[in-house]
Amino acid sequence: MDELFQALAQGLLIGSTYGLLALGMGLIYSVSGIVNFSHGDFVSLGMYLCFALFSALALDPYVSLAVTLPAMLIIGAVVCRYLIAPVAEAHSLMVVQLTLGISLALQNLILMVFGGQPHRVPSVVEAKLVMIGNVVMRMPHVVAFVASLALATALFIVLRSTDVGRAIRAVHQNARAAALMGIDVGRVKIGTFAVGIGLLAIAGALLAPGTPIMPSMGLRYTVITLLALVLGGMTNFLGIMVAGVIIGVSEAMGMIYLSDTLGMILPYAVFVLIVLFRPEGILGQSRG
Amino acid sequence: MLHIEGVDAVYGPVTALSGVNMRIGKGELVGLLGANNAGKSSVMNVLSGIVPAAKGRVLFEGEDITRLPPKRRVELGIVQVPEGRMVFPQMSVRENLLLGGVNASAKPKRAQEIERVCELFPRLKERLAQPAGTLSGGEQQMLAIGRGLVAGARLLMLDEPSLGLSPLFVKYIFEIIDRLHKDGLTILLVEQNLNLTLRFANRCYVLERGEIVVEGTADQVRDDPRTRSAYLGL
Repeated sequence: MDELFQALAQGLLIGSTYGLLALGMGLIYSVSGIVNFSHGDFVSLGMYLCFALFSALALDPYVSLAVTLPAMLIIGAVVCRYLIAPVAEAHSLMVVQLTLGISLALQNLILMVFGGQPHRVPSVVEAKLVMIGNVVMRMPHVVAFVASLALATALFIVLRSTDVGRAIRAVHQNARAAALMGIDVGRVKIGTFAVGIGLLAIAGALLAPGTPIMPSMGLRYTVITLLALVLGGMTNFLGIMVAGVIIGVSEAMGMIYLSDTLGMILPYAVFVLIVLFRPEGILGQSRG
Repeated sequence: MLHIEGVDAVYGPVTALSGVNMRIGKGELVGLLGANNAGKSSVMNVLSGIVPAAKGRVLFEGEDITRLPPKRRVELGIVQVPEGRMVFPQMSVRENLLLGGVNASAKPKRAQEIERVCELFPRLKERLAQPAGTLSGGEQQMLAIGRGLVAGARLLMLDEPSLGLSPLFVKYIFEIIDRLHKDGLTILLVEQNLNLTLRFANRCYVLERGEIVVEGTADQVRDDPRTRSAYLGL
């Protein structure tokens, strides 16, 4: 029984951060219709930026955010404005191709600069444990859970009840009508892309402590993100968050109850099962 | 108030407008008539800045706005109520109205303007919390017009407001348009409904294949044989 609670807790904690990753992609998708296949590589980039700051200045990854967050926001805006926007009007497969290209470029850039061997980004809280009953939780996971939940809540509130949020939803529902209301559609698209990538700087810092980082790990995060996105219903932000947790829990269950290798398959099996029975995503039809 | 001088508009190889000249005086209700694909919506989209003018220029209160982005034009008070209403279906009526007033010049007066729209359209007031997608076609048209008013329209451009509405709603919408006009609003009305437009408009233009073929008062336009041929495509 303890094992079950352990798996649930671990899955919930890590899954919330998966949800955050997917929320970034969902935000970009809902406004621009872009599925960003380099999403996970931007997570790597965020983590390697943390690593660089740790190596050079011995900064804790949480402190590094003061640098990596603005940096990733700017990178996101530049990538959207100068790479994605010029291609976005063409066939949608062109954008897929482009983001796949960005993924390879980022991976190899990281490989070139940091080498292929795994690195670690330690944090002061890394070794701390939190005990609730017999369930042991690692402090970085708890931090990640609280921060992801807080960010997701903030994002919901902004989207629901501010003019910026309404403008974002308006562009999603009818870009032409939004332009006729005086909303600068291009700027909204660049802005949401930048925020989507900026969220990855935060996710990167949250995931970094205790996780060995490698240049090739981006793909794994991209796949997890896509699973959560599809499972949640593409533009249903609450659904995406819940889906992230489902992926996290099934991953943890697989690791604890099955062998390591077999356990890694469990999230995909769960995904396939859910999508078979609820192709529209777990929380009903996709809605803005 | 508005002058269109020798404007061309092209979509790729297709010429949508060629050499269009129009003027709209302050407080006028001007009708823009023509068959499908005559270029009526193109005129509006050039005025809104959604479609660039390939040639010619557009003056608004003496200022050349030909190259201004759509956002700046809305801020000046050039507001289009698009064909097919284009309300934001998953947002509430209130949110749609709020979005009407997100532009910088409308925002300070947004709350009062929404009040005013609710007085103009009591049906919208009853449905403020309802998703706009669940409204009837006529109610959506009210919302689209209301949203345009909240946007601070000084030149309100209505694209086919009667399209797809029941006769009762058509009558109601035209009464509203007439009332707004009598309150002093400048209106450009694009319509296929010839008779209703001629009844309410001060002046009309008739477009045929991207060119203005008839212009004048309602009587002049009604009696001009070219109006009929423009409509029937003869």
